[in-house]
Amino acid sequence: MLQRLALAFGLLLLGPLLATAHGPTPQRADETLAIAAPPDAVWKLVSGFGTIGDWHPLVQKVAVTGGEAAGAERVLTLAKGEITEGLDEVDTGAKRLSYRLLKENPEALPVSFYTATIEVKPAGDGSEVAWSARFYRADTTNEPPEDRNDEAAVAAMTDFIKQGLEGLKAKAAGK
Amino acid sequence: MTRLYAGLAAPLLAAALLAPAPVAAQEGPGPVAAIVSQQAGAVTLVDVRAARRLAEIKTPRVPAALAATPDGRTLYVTHPDLGLVSRIDVAARRVETSFPVGKEPFGIAVIEDGRALLVSDWSADALIRLDAATGRETARAAIGRSPASLVVEPRSGRAYVADRESNQISVVDIPTMRRVAVVPTGKAPFALALSPDGGELYVANVQSNDLSIVETATTREVARIRIGLMPYGVAVSADGATVAVTNQQSGKVALLDRATRKVIGKARTGDYPEGAAITTDGRLVVANWADDSLCLIVLSEPPSCRERVPVATGPRNITILAP
Repeated sequence: MLQRLALAFGLLLLGPLLATAHGPTPQRADETLAIAAPPDAVWKLVSGFGTIGDWHPLVQKVAVTGGEAAGAERVLTLAKGEITEGLDEVDTGAKRLSYRLLKENPEALPVSFYTATIEVKPAGDGSEVAWSARFYRADTTNEPPEDRNDEAAVAAMTDFIKQGLEGLKAKAAGK
Repeated sequence: MTRLYAGLAAPLLAAALLAPAPVAAQEGPGPVAAIVSQQAGAVTLVDVRAARRLAEIKTPRVPAALAATPDGRTLYVTHPDLGLVSRIDVAARRVETSFPVGKEPFGIAVIEDGRALLVSDWSADALIRLDAATGRETARAAIGRSPASLVVEPRSGRAYVADRESNQISVVDIPTMRRVAVVPTGKAPFALALSPDGGELYVANVQSNDLSIVETATTREVARIRIGLMPYGVAVSADGATVAVTNQQSGKVALLDRATRKVIGKARTGDYPEGAAITTDGRLVVANWADDSLCLIVLSEPPSCRERVPVATGPRNITILAP
């Protein structure tokens, strides 16, 4: 996984990228974390689409509409602004949840679009949580500024996911 | 004797019995799939029947789409971010040359028995025709915004291009390189496939989670079918009976019965599936972009990955090479 990210960074440094609209080159972030709590307990936290603010340290406020079913939307207030996400699919059997960005805000998170999936799997006495995202940089024109290029997008998404997983771990441990 | 032989060879025999092709055809090399991996900058060749990697061919950076000549000896790969198209000598396992094409060449098809190419230009909103030997542009047609995949119907001499940001298909007459029709579709059409008889065009609409069916004779959308989250790749079986559509956001592939236009099966393929292709002997190949793997499904069996084959990082599109 770290190798993947390193490779992604390495490739990005090789030359300027040219893209428009969503651009043809998607980026990825992919993190997993072991959590010493039963999968059911962790899934209960993850599947609460409107309660991510209870455990994600970067989410200051959540306003959810449509409950916890596919089609629900949530507005996340981050340090530098709001983004809106839509819930695509909840697979309770597989403990897997998929969502996407509906309204971008490059000030808050420097990406133009993403889809993401969180999956909770049993691992030993506890759980393993895998959180992945497929996304495009914020500025999809030919010469994006440094804070809106592919590297900035990968760094921001990776940080959002890592901090989320750590927050989930802390919440599951009852802290 | 027979019993003993059967016991020893049970797994092999079981595999042969389950396969739809005749046993005699199992002995030679199987159909070869070529898979383009955008992050690795490589094309992987895979023997689909044996589920075995044959070669990995390095290309210039960020290759996106690919097309093969009818004889299977040459592959062309687009590099949207570099404004290049590369030509690969399949037998030599190497890139022969790369030539500049338009601004952001994305979708690609081979025409005129390999003498010419059609390329969609994502940022110029154009379909470009090239001399395959020199890479020289010979004609272009203005089409819709952000054209992605394209397919060619040789009998009618028409190309169909998915204009992603215009939510439409552009139909281009290849001899004159003029757009002759526009077909509105669902939201963000991206991948395309034609039925073997050329009568129907299947359009995967990424943002509206459906599949448009376009009747090519009338250039009209005759059906729009809910197919699953983020349909990103589409393929049709050689007998025309089955249409496979990847659902990227669910990690699944949906199988549609062409006659009834109903989804008859779904299988989990892996993480973020994109391109799909079907061999002439009925094997479905799906590229899992985030897993760096292929899922191989035999269409005559209940849908599930019978084999997984690792490929270079970030696989997106697939084409099957002629033997």
